Amino acid sequence: MGSILVVAEIQKGAVREASYELAAFAQKVAGGRTIHSLVLGSGVAGEAESFAKKGGGQVLYVDRPELASYSVDLWTRAIRAAVEATSAELVLISNTPSGWDVAPRIAAALDSAYVSDVFNMEPGSPTAFVRRVFNGKLDARVVPKADRVVATVQPGATAAFQGATDGAAKALEVDLGAPRAKFVETKVATSKGVDLTKAEIIVSGGRGVGAPEKFSEVIKPLADALGGAMGASRPVVDAGWLPHEYQVGSSGQVVTPKLYIACGISGAIQHLVGMKGSNYIIAINKDGDAPIFEVANLGVVGDLFEIVPKLTEAVKTAKG
Amino acid sequence: MKILVCLKQVPHQDARLDVRADGTWIQEDNIKFEINSYDTYALEEALRVKDKGDTEVVVASIGPDRVTQALRTALGMGADRAVHVKDPAADGSDALGVAKTLAAVAKAESPDLVLMGLMSDDGNAASVPPMLAQLLDVPSATGVMSVEYQNGSVRVERELEGGALEVVDLPRPCVLAVQTGINQVRYASLKGIMAAKKKPIDVKTAADLGVAGQVGAAAAKARIEKVYVPPKGQGAEILSGSADEVVGKLVGKIKELGLL
Repeated sequence: MGSILVVAEIQKGAVREASYELAAFAQKVAGGRTIHSLVLGSGVAGEAESFAKKGGGQVLYVDRPELASYSVDLWTRAIRAAVEATSAELVLISNTPSGWDVAPRIAAALDSAYVSDVFNMEPGSPTAFVRRVFNGKLDARVVPKADRVVATVQPGATAAFQGATDGAAKALEVDLGAPRAKFVETKVATSKGVDLTKAEIIVSGGRGVGAPEKFSEVIKPLADALGGAMGASRPVVDAGWLPHEYQVGSSGQVVTPKLYIACGISGAIQHLVGMKGSNYIIAINKDGDAPIFEVANLGVVGDLFEIVPKLTEAVKTAKG
Repeated sequence: MKILVCLKQVPHQDARLDVRADGTWIQEDNIKFEINSYDTYALEEALRVKDKGDTEVVVASIGPDRVTQALRTALGMGADRAVHVKDPAADGSDALGVAKTLAAVAKAESPDLVLMGLMSDDGNAASVPPMLAQLLDVPSATGVMSVEYQNGSVRVERELEGGALEVVDLPRPCVLAVQTGINQVRYASLKGIMAAKKKPIDVKTAADLGVAGQVGAAAAKARIEKVYVPPKGQGAEILSGSADEVVGKLVGKIKELGLL
């Protein structure tokens, strides 16, 4: 019987939350299979020991200075060695910038099945995987046909494992070789004046706003009337309609205002991650099936160009 | 320099998504298709190198007859020639099957650089670029937000969480999966569209590429059992009524929240 290998990720010196979520999924679908984990990094032996007791199970670690920053080449070699050492038939990796960079390489190297950005797993023979497609508009249930599966898992898709596991950690001997792609530096995001994280009210516009000038004509006036800030979804920034500092989402700012009004935003996962923690969400969109309505408290299925200007006027009137 | 750009033709972002009779994908008949948005940024990135001189841009895509339209668009934007893998035996490939097919194209072309989009707008899987790099045994980087061309290498910025960037140097050849927003994508000019009609599209089968039997639905290592509209959770309370009534209710709610 094969085993499950959880590839943990170190963030700020500790195993990150998403790795404990992988451990939770591993427990859910284990069905008697042994759970192994892999911890890669520099100065991580202690974290590996601790993870073995908190969900990681039998932990292998590679503790080397050259693993202080992520390297696709070194990670590929280390994960392949761990799969071999554990005879893993299911390899779980978080769908993070490191995870999605390395996981497909592992699947190609092993000639295995690959399922990416999974948000649920259903135990069974074989284990089934559920993921979003079409930018969140549809779900797909995927069933592997191969003996070995590599899957990446959406961070936040399940609660982190909180129980205890009776595991131990040991060093994995592996020849990492030299990286071909060489890490140079990490540049931390710098906010250029628009700090949406402190705004109490945010009015955001998406692709449905249609044109850059409509932000100053329609979206900004509502934000101003409410005394709030203006935000945007990724397609707006990608199109160059607004600068990056307005972007709300996993690659922009993660916001938690008292009120978030989403106008013409369909609700791709990357946007939802950035705003679903808002206290109250109002969504205005012409497509009633848009995923934004799933996270919103109050929804209007209609034309934002009709609703938003009327709302702006009504807010101004109410304020006197 | 020779750059290979891999494109996927996907359902238009505003296309109706109806699940087809067998439940395993959407109904693709009679809907509009377009070049995957991520791939348009990859193509633009390649064309910007070409604009500086002495670079050949080859575009490759897999799929039925309709894919010709995507390739013509790419040629109209400025790509030099196209490879169209058109073979019912290659239909229904999983990501690894697609990567094997593209790897065969890349081996025949020997490009200095392969550019493609981070993911597709339909499958959202982000799997093919690193798989392709692994099969070609070359380095790769995903979520690329900028590319600086150096002698024999590239320096890229990869997008991390929260807007941070990771700077990485990769020797060429390599595979880069670009993020949307890396550039502003050009439109095909009328002159470009006219010129594209004379540019060659080389049509290949799986057998031509030596991957028959390794790709297509039968070789896929995972299959989509069903696609469906996500079950509705609690969801939003949807307001009904005229625009004025709806606005009245919204103002009432904002007042109730103590924000007005």
